[in-house]
Amino acid sequence: MKLSMGPQHPITGHFRFILDVDGDLVIKLDPDVGYTHRGIEKLAEKRTYPQNLPVIERTNSYCDSVGTMLGYLEAVEEVLGLEVPERGKYLRVIAAELNRIASHLYFLSLGAVATGFETMLMWTINDRELVLDLMERLSGQRITYTYPIMGGVRFDMPDGFKEEALKRLDYLGKRIEDYYTMAAKNHTFKMRMMKVGILKPSDAIRLGIVGPNLRASGVKADVRKDEPYEVYDRFDFMIPTGKNGDSYDRVGMRLKEIEQSISIVRQAVKDIPKGAFKKWAPYIVPKGEAYTRVESARGEFGYYLVGDGGIKPYRLKLSPPSFRNLIALPHLCRNVPLGDVPIIFITLDLIPMDVDR
Amino acid sequence: MIELSFAEIVELILKVLIFPGVAFPLLFAVIVIWFERKFLARIMLRIGPLHVGPFNRTGLLQPIADFIKLIQKEIIVPENAYKFLYNLAPILAALVASLSVAFIPYAPKPDGGYWVIFYTPLSLLVILAIFTARPFIMVGAGWASNSKYCTIGALRAALQLLAYEVPIVLSLASIVIMSRSFDLSRIIESQSSIWFIVLQPIGFIVILISMMAELSRRPFDIPVAEQELVFGWPTEYTGTQFALVMVSEYYDLCAVASLITLFFLGGWMGPAIPFIPPMLSGIIWFLLKMAIVTVVIIMGRGIYPRLRIDQLLDAGWTVLIPLATIQILITLVTAQWWLPLVGGG
Repeated sequence: MKLSMGPQHPITGHFRFILDVDGDLVIKLDPDVGYTHRGIEKLAEKRTYPQNLPVIERTNSYCDSVGTMLGYLEAVEEVLGLEVPERGKYLRVIAAELNRIASHLYFLSLGAVATGFETMLMWTINDRELVLDLMERLSGQRITYTYPIMGGVRFDMPDGFKEEALKRLDYLGKRIEDYYTMAAKNHTFKMRMMKVGILKPSDAIRLGIVGPNLRASGVKADVRKDEPYEVYDRFDFMIPTGKNGDSYDRVGMRLKEIEQSISIVRQAVKDIPKGAFKKWAPYIVPKGEAYTRVESARGEFGYYLVGDGGIKPYRLKLSPPSFRNLIALPHLCRNVPLGDVPIIFITLDLIPMDVDR
Repeated sequence: MIELSFAEIVELILKVLIFPGVAFPLLFAVIVIWFERKFLARIMLRIGPLHVGPFNRTGLLQPIADFIKLIQKEIIVPENAYKFLYNLAPILAALVASLSVAFIPYAPKPDGGYWVIFYTPLSLLVILAIFTARPFIMVGAGWASNSKYCTIGALRAALQLLAYEVPIVLSLASIVIMSRSFDLSRIIESQSSIWFIVLQPIGFIVILISMMAELSRRPFDIPVAEQELVFGWPTEYTGTQFALVMVSEYYDLCAVASLITLFFLGGWMGPAIPFIPPMLSGIIWFLLKMAIVTVVIIMGRGIYPRLRIDQLLDAGWTVLIPLATIQILITLVTAQWWLPLVGGG
């Protein structure tokens, strides 16, 4: 029996899956994407470099907007040969890591709701507000910040931000322990998550999986460590890796990464240097090309930018993490019970907007 | 033709229309829906319904407002549905669900009888028969909707409900052994000195879990799993029909809470409340115990994720049925020591 799951379905978001179902067993899954295609790559060719910022941000706005924009800015600044002031770099890292925390909390809520665990959904969404409020203090917005701009960041750190951030992160650190008791150690949660959607390390590398999903399979790969951008080489953090590569590891991965991000933000707000936080950036970008990659919350985000000496980019190619991870979904959804499909889909952390661009 | 005296007619009308007849399950449904929403909201760090109702910031009348909204809606029948069965199923579901309260005794009467609508010495068997009818309504509704999600949901419901009837019947066997009767009121009377929850803890756990599965409460709400099947077998129902399906769920909850109270928690047994006639105090004790059972059943939704259908069936066939059988064996072996304690007889 063919079952068309989505695009109007409680769990699939803007995706549509065409499932081959035999009773309660899914034999094959065929993702049908494109419901949120906005042609961002083409739009970017019609706008000037600063005008592109909010557009690029919309690639993945409601989860990880700073992580998405950083790569574009890196590419533009590489072509320009522009060096961002130290304070600006630190502020970018703070914003990116806070955004990563928010994004992972959002992931945890979806991961819980895939198993029908509404309490975890509400708890994590509630605590995400703390981080969003913090971002609002920093940038004036809750979801789409457009906070980093060419040559630095838009605003300086407000007064009292450091104390407030430390206070909230302390609370969040305590809440993480609650999440462990409520979900990660919950027997029923384990029953649903463990041994579901096992992605072997060799398969993960072969399929080109990136980000936390790759690390959950036990491969230590993180752009922040492998090829440090901004000031990530100055912080003391580790890259957690999973053992089995199942859905449970992918959830645990996010919990551990939130802990690491909390530690990075703590270090960053403590040793942030004084000085300018932005620098004047020229409007016209010279001829040249650049490929940059950043570690967004969902994994490695690649940008290829070609400038032709005008005020608009000649070509901008995005390689978003959700698109790379999408290939794992049909791979993992072969001969699995129907009840496992939402779990595999959600724990891969696929965002339709990110896939379609 | 049976001749009824005036007092008997008044009593019958009271029973049928107010307690435990038409009004009681409906009131139970309204209160439990409100309580469930408020209670789960507290667990989830939310506020829950707030504005509708007389008392400030309680949202007491929210379920009634929802119900009024639902009956205003258009009833949409899918084009390919088998219309007769499709329209019949929600009515049948509500009817069958409200039937079981007719056989449950809620208190002893001063004249030696019981406060029950229809007295029969084999009421336990009647209740089991009513429970057996439920999966067929679900399968019928799912099949008649002619929608894929409904069909899968109906199949899951059939698998789950049929699998979990076996442990229920097996655990009830040990209760019948102890009380030596199929009569629900006699089962309560036999707990006058010691409740069966003390004598049969394993049976209590088996029945509680199986009843939760029968009711499709989380963690066993697999037939209506929202994230997988949208809403399972009642997906296509709208308006009044959906309201009937919802209400039938809470009617079932009412019956199940009454039954668990009755089988294990001593029914109306409890110290007499001063200044209140014994029958009324019996009803109060019954309702109090029912409320506790209801809270326990509801709490599952706040603290557990949903199981998968194969895990659920595994648990049913390989854990609960052996446990229920062990309970029967224990009861048979130890009955000679316990029977003197068991009242009624």
